[in-house]
Amino acid sequence: MVAGEVTSEQTPILDCRVVVERGSFDLDAEVVVKPGEIVAVMGPNGAGKTTLLEALIGWLPMSAGWILLDGQTIEAPGEDEITQTHQREIGMVFQDGLLFPHLNVRRNIEFGGKVSESNVRALLAALEIEDLKENRPQELSAGQRQRVALARTLATEPKLVLLDEPLAALDVSGRARARKLIGKVLRDTSAGALFATHDPADAFALADKILVLEAGRVTQYAAPDQIRTRPATEWVAGLIGWNYFEAMGEGAVVTLPNGTEIATALGDLDGPVAVTINPTAVALYLTQPTGSPRNCWTCHVESIEFLADVARVSLTGPFNLSADITKSAVNELGIKSGSEVWASLKATEVSVQTLADE
Amino acid sequence: MNRQLPGPLRCAAMGAVLVVAMPLISLLWRAPWGDLPRLLTTDVVADALLMSVTTSICAALVALTIGTLVALQLSKMSGVAASTLRAVATLPMILPPVVGGAALLFAFGRNGLIGQVLDDTTGLVLPYSPVGVIMANAFVATPFVVLTIESGLRSLDPRFELAAASLGATPLRTTVCVTLPMIRPSIVAGAFLAWARALGEFGATITFAGNIPGRTQTLPLAVFVAMQEDRGAAIAMSLLLVLVSLTVLIALRDRWWPAK
Repeated sequence: MVAGEVTSEQTPILDCRVVVERGSFDLDAEVVVKPGEIVAVMGPNGAGKTTLLEALIGWLPMSAGWILLDGQTIEAPGEDEITQTHQREIGMVFQDGLLFPHLNVRRNIEFGGKVSESNVRALLAALEIEDLKENRPQELSAGQRQRVALARTLATEPKLVLLDEPLAALDVSGRARARKLIGKVLRDTSAGALFATHDPADAFALADKILVLEAGRVTQYAAPDQIRTRPATEWVAGLIGWNYFEAMGEGAVVTLPNGTEIATALGDLDGPVAVTINPTAVALYLTQPTGSPRNCWTCHVESIEFLADVARVSLTGPFNLSADITKSAVNELGIKSGSEVWASLKATEVSVQTLADE
Repeated sequence: MNRQLPGPLRCAAMGAVLVVAMPLISLLWRAPWGDLPRLLTTDVVADALLMSVTTSICAALVALTIGTLVALQLSKMSGVAASTLRAVATLPMILPPVVGGAALLFAFGRNGLIGQVLDDTTGLVLPYSPVGVIMANAFVATPFVVLTIESGLRSLDPRFELAAASLGATPLRTTVCVTLPMIRPSIVAGAFLAWARALGEFGATITFAGNIPGRTQTLPLAVFVAMQEDRGAAIAMSLLLVLVSLTVLIALRDRWWPAK
């Protein structure tokens, strides 16, 4: 039996390696989810988020790999093992809910017909949909439909819940509310949850771990904090606003492909590295700063975006760099698009990860 | 967007409408209006009307059952196999009904493939019986059910079936409780079309079930007989058929073309 490593004494609720080939695209992703864990699946469009979920539910055939649910093999192409979708004990919530339009809310939720009346009542209360029981799906808002869809899935007491962009179709206010309620309900179940999303806010608010898929491969699988502080790829770094470069390290210095050198606090670099720079660590000056910073470049302001009380300044210069400064700093500096500024960076703020040699 | 057709086309279109409507207008023109009550209450008309209504409803139900099963199978197939099955299932639409009736005789006639076995084992003889009328009607009506329901099934988002399966429903329960209820409009349309087709059936019926007044004579057959003896009665019965057909067509208009 081939299986992923079991890292804790608990049997993972999901242990899988999903290989799907669809024309020119192929997905090869290994994922382990512990009971009760909520995992966000993120990645650029076409990275394979939905493909992963559709293979897990049994909709897309796998060409290789395995799926172990709670220790039981439910699919393993090499061994001709296959459990049909309706026997998998995996629930799925779709982007558009897919409530049955010919049934009212109550009969939609009872469709799976497993849990007790009192559990259904608790679910309806937790998701704040008790008053909608006799309504038709067509009479609900998008946010209400998604909450009903989740209740319908959880009412079957699945071991694993898959959610495919459950909040994507919602407007901002419906989204915040649905996110809060869905998070609360998912936390209360012992089922594992895997939800695809393109919104980092969903992932950071709901997930215990974030699985990053890029071009059909897992590029990072870690807790949100670790993703935030140590993004593994340019896409992840861009997603959370960090500057990300691939460079060559030598001694204490990393050199970008265009020749720009960045000093680091390390001393023993050798070979390809990934450099991440927190945009809040980049300081801006109108004149060349004096003092300790060894990294200092003249740049031009390309654009300034205001995010809450922070201004994100996009700079062009020896290389592209984002800097987060306060709004008042923007006013004091008097910078605007096209202004020339000095950007400086302490060597201790440069985060370096060694990349494996290809 | 122009709200009206350009002038010359509009004239041509009106001409075309007139051509289409002319036979119906002529029928109305020649109708013996004063005599209608008497003509429509004879025993022959009453028998034929009763036969037409009962056999066409039974035939529609048979066609609905068979056609739904075939359409369900078709919707899960693709490629040459699907095209072949669809061609076979819809053949009676193109086939001259007389040929269909003859084919039914070869299958269910006293000396037919199945008919002989039926006769030997149960003594049941289907041709020239009311059941034969239903069979002939169902044979020509089934393709309408197959086409309507298959198109309904194909336009249904297959992920609804996935959603049902993910909730633990077996494939059978999914079909019965999700797929079929969701295509109800197509089922209703298919049933009405099959019924209308069965109501007007002539060729297959007369070949397979004959033209026995009070036993297998339906309204269209009675019209055919009356055309040779009593034109007034023929027109009266024709008007009855026109009325019924038009009612169904108008009731179904939104399913045939998008409603404005």
